Amino acid sequence: MESKNKHFKVLTLAGCLLASMASASVFASQLVIMQNEPPRSMDPGNQTATFTGTVLDPMYEGLTRLGDDGKIIPALALSWTSDDSGLNWTFTLRPNVKFHDGTPFNADAVVENFQRHLNTQRGLAGSGKIRTFIQDVKKKDDLTVTFQLKKINPAFLTVLASGPGLMVSPKADKAGSINNKADGTGPYKLVQYKSGEYVLEQKNPDYWGKSSGPDEIKWTWSSEPSVMNMALQSGQVDIINPVPPQFAGMLKNNANVNLKQSPGAAVFWVDLNTQSKALSDVRVRQALNFATDQQALVKAIMFGYAQPANSALAPVDPNYDKSLHDYPYDLQKAKDLLKAAGYADGFPMSIAVQAPDARTAQVLQGMWSKIGVKLNVRQMESGVWTKAAFADGKEKAAQGTDAVLASWSSGLYGSDLQLRPLYHTSSFAPGGANLGFFSDKQTDDLIDTAASTLDDAKRKDLYFQAQKQISGLAPQVLLFYQDDLYAARKNISGVVMQPGGQIVVRDAVKQ
Amino acid sequence: MKAYVAKKVLSLPLIIFGVSIIVFIAIRALPGDPARLMAGPEAPQEAVDSMRVRLGLDQPLPLQYVKFAAEALHGNLGLSLQSQRPVMTEISERLPYTLSLAALAYLLAIAIGVPAGMTGAIYRQRIPDQIVMVLTIAGASIANFWLALLAMNYFAVELGWLPLLGADSWKNYIMPTVTLAILPMAMIARMTRSSMLDVLSQDYIRTAKAKGLSSASINWKHALRNALIPIVTIVALNFGSLIGGAVVTESVFNWPGIGRLLVDSVRYRDYPVIQGVTLVAVTGVVLMNLVGEILIGLLNPKIRFD
Amino acid sequence: MNSIDTSVLPPRSRSRHLISTLLANPSIAIGGALVLLVVLAAALAPLITHWDPVEQDLLNTLQAPSAAHWFGTDDYGRDIFSRVIYGARITLFEVSLSVAISMVIGIPLGIISGLAGRKMDALIMWVMDIIFAFPGIVLAILIVSVLGEGLTNMLIAISLFSIPVYARLSRNLTLGLKNMEYIEAAHMLGVRYPRIITHYILRNSIGPLIVQSTLTAGAVVLSAASLSFLGLGVQPPMPEWGTMMSDGRNFLGLNIYVSLFPGLAILITVLGFNVLGDGLRDVMDKRL
Repeated sequence: MESKNKHFKVLTLAGCLLASMASASVFASQLVIMQNEPPRSMDPGNQTATFTGTVLDPMYEGLTRLGDDGKIIPALALSWTSDDSGLNWTFTLRPNVKFHDGTPFNADAVVENFQRHLNTQRGLAGSGKIRTFIQDVKKKDDLTVTFQLKKINPAFLTVLASGPGLMVSPKADKAGSINNKADGTGPYKLVQYKSGEYVLEQKNPDYWGKSSGPDEIKWTWSSEPSVMNMALQSGQVDIINPVPPQFAGMLKNNANVNLKQSPGAAVFWVDLNTQSKALSDVRVRQALNFATDQQALVKAIMFGYAQPANSALAPVDPNYDKSLHDYPYDLQKAKDLLKAAGYADGFPMSIAVQAPDARTAQVLQGMWSKIGVKLNVRQMESGVWTKAAFADGKEKAAQGTDAVLASWSSGLYGSDLQLRPLYHTSSFAPGGANLGFFSDKQTDDLIDTAASTLDDAKRKDLYFQAQKQISGLAPQVLLFYQDDLYAARKNISGVVMQPGGQIVVRDAVKQ
Repeated sequence: MKAYVAKKVLSLPLIIFGVSIIVFIAIRALPGDPARLMAGPEAPQEAVDSMRVRLGLDQPLPLQYVKFAAEALHGNLGLSLQSQRPVMTEISERLPYTLSLAALAYLLAIAIGVPAGMTGAIYRQRIPDQIVMVLTIAGASIANFWLALLAMNYFAVELGWLPLLGADSWKNYIMPTVTLAILPMAMIARMTRSSMLDVLSQDYIRTAKAKGLSSASINWKHALRNALIPIVTIVALNFGSLIGGAVVTESVFNWPGIGRLLVDSVRYRDYPVIQGVTLVAVTGVVLMNLVGEILIGLLNPKIRFD
Repeated sequence: MNSIDTSVLPPRSRSRHLISTLLANPSIAIGGALVLLVVLAAALAPLITHWDPVEQDLLNTLQAPSAAHWFGTDDYGRDIFSRVIYGARITLFEVSLSVAISMVIGIPLGIISGLAGRKMDALIMWVMDIIFAFPGIVLAILIVSVLGEGLTNMLIAISLFSIPVYARLSRNLTLGLKNMEYIEAAHMLGVRYPRIITHYILRNSIGPLIVQSTLTAGAVVLSAASLSFLGLGVQPPMPEWGTMMSDGRNFLGLNIYVSLFPGLAILITVLGFNVLGDGLRDVMDKRL
């Protein structure tokens, strides 16, 4: 009698286990994406990295959103109007929305979100975008908010759609937990952030809208191109972004994988520290540009998946000047310029790079050695690199940082957000991304005037002038525009690529 | 025997003490402010100040060491700069991966090394022995990460048989285990061969003396003892070389063990982790050495009277 | 092995006899030949290859071996054969410097330890045991994290962890020799310590010390290559074999030559030193 009972209990237990396992595998679809760097923070306002933006995108929303076709659509705001000056906007908010921790989303939340960026004491990494043109944000009533802008920004609505424009739970922000524990209003919420390993997101059952994406999204990363390649080919991950270009060919030939390529918005360059002795002379900076064989660089480093960069703006930008071509590869000219500047025998300089860009730096090392420039490549982990790259003039002098290899993608945010943070005098590091402390009044004026010019043609002309001015003064060595390259298993669809490398997976479908 | 064990056990704390001093001094020898270094370049001033108090930097060096040692003995090795989690947690999460890899590597090394060594001894100077000799010396001369790269290239990428990523399925264990096992395998084979040769030469003498008496049972016990000595020697006394091998192997295969943790922490300048892993790893090595020496003493009485 | 009492031969024949004894041993012959190969490659590098080891050719990257590039090109278009050959120079430099430093520091420490009183001996050996307790790579990593990456700092680290071997060896040799009658006699005759050391102890220790140095040489090559491979040693664009192999990690499945040939070079070099050391030890054991 007793043993029969025992058997019965065991069987039911086993049965339940099997059933739960089966149901788990039937219902929980998990999309796994591998990128090449870990997320910098769980707070969208405290970072500016493209590949962190991808991870946070499913969990956060802003007042507006970029639709699949790149056009602005309502998200947390239902509608908006502005007055004739274009400087005063009123937004009507979506009702009955909650943050993941249960805090209600309302005008107070919006105000707190923007005030934390306008607050100069906070020092959040993404505040730059907000502070350049937003004067103040005020609550009108529980579901209405007003914005006062300092100047017109044609990209205003786009800025609201990502980065510092994304709404975080004020409660989490106050508690200080937002850096490690995401808390937004998005269709996905954070389940686990295993530091150094993965980020796991799960469908938010209380989401206000509809979501057609997978039940779970798992983000992981590897700095090794070979690992990314094999992870996708073996099916261990579903998507890799960005594809290491050397393996693009191999992936194209794999019948189980789809390779997606589109012209990118990311500009790669070497930022030159204009306060460094040799680099303070514009002739020296121009010489470095002439000594850089962009075509060879694109072939050797990017295996053809990039375009040589001729201007500070990327080709996807509507104000891009295609005709600018100040620095064809010319070693003799480079040497002549160096000689004229008094460096006939060259000089030493050091550059700070992150691991994925180390090869580029070594190619430059080889190229510039031909004109006598001895480039010391200092490779650093992303945290250490960020510190070094965004150090102020004194720090850079102390550490001997003469150059930084970096990339910047303003994507769809417009020319102002590409040029201002990098070239304006007010954007000196660490407050902005003008890592080399480039300062030119004419450039500043052009950027400022263009930002408040409403006429498209006039604005384009101003940006053309700005590009020419910047090019002539060579505060950087432009390298290339990297193609946006991602690859997914054949059974994945519904992934959207935003120019700049940020993939949107919240509506992906895994068959 | 007791005196031998006692002597060995007593020397243990002195060695560990010395090791901890070196680790302690190394971090203090860095240019810059130790509090800033241990708190991290991005830490706010209050964190640096509290670190200064915790490290006792305003106190004389010996007192600082005492603090450091006391904390370490309690398992408090500080916080990782990178993850802000306790160093002890980072280590204990990864230790199983390293130990499981090490254990499997040793098993493989023994499983192949012992028979190989015995074969070499039995067929002394003839072709099988020459093959064994060549292979063992080659095994000790190879850069194990070279083999790892070749294996990854062929078995993972070209053939797709084995994964490059992950550490949990048995397939993940194959390449790292073989890579790590090569050196101990060569050494075990060598030592087995020479101790086997000892046994065989004595056998001849004994057989000659006994004139036909079956000495099978005597040989068994003797042979077993002689087989265990190389194994214990390589496994326990050469544990340090295995840890060294694990550091490189784990880095090549992205294995989530303490070896890769150590290498990564150098790149991040994560000094609390560097300090913690070094202490734990070397303490482990010293303990294994102690165990090994005691076991050898048990197995081979001659050694006790060193 | 041979029944001639070599000490009664005139000096010239003695050394010739020594050389022929050494060469008769196959390990010494083979090991010596391999080491000689590496030395010659390093010395005659410009004659062996016309390619510059650091010159990049970005339009011809990752080429397979061909008539123009015997080992192919790496991911910067540099000729791999040339880099392997010039890499031999770096390797030999690493070996000589590191072994020299370890011996210059370790041997005197060992001799002092052997000749001095029990307390001094215990102290010195305690320090040596501590250093010895560290796995070489771990100690090297600790030192590099303090001093920074680079060839010099890596060599300092490697030299450091090899010191205990020489200290212990020379201490044991000294202890063994100390009690020999003719040394006691010399001491009683008033011969001072320095002369005792150079005349008697060192002369009689040279054999085992040389054997040890060949074995350490192999370990140095492997340690240096490992550290450089991990990015903690030699920095690019120097053609060190370990550094070259780390490039290969990014091209698994695309090109194995970048890692294959430097690794082969390491194998040949370390094998040469190990086989040579084995042979020397055999000869030494037989003569004792």
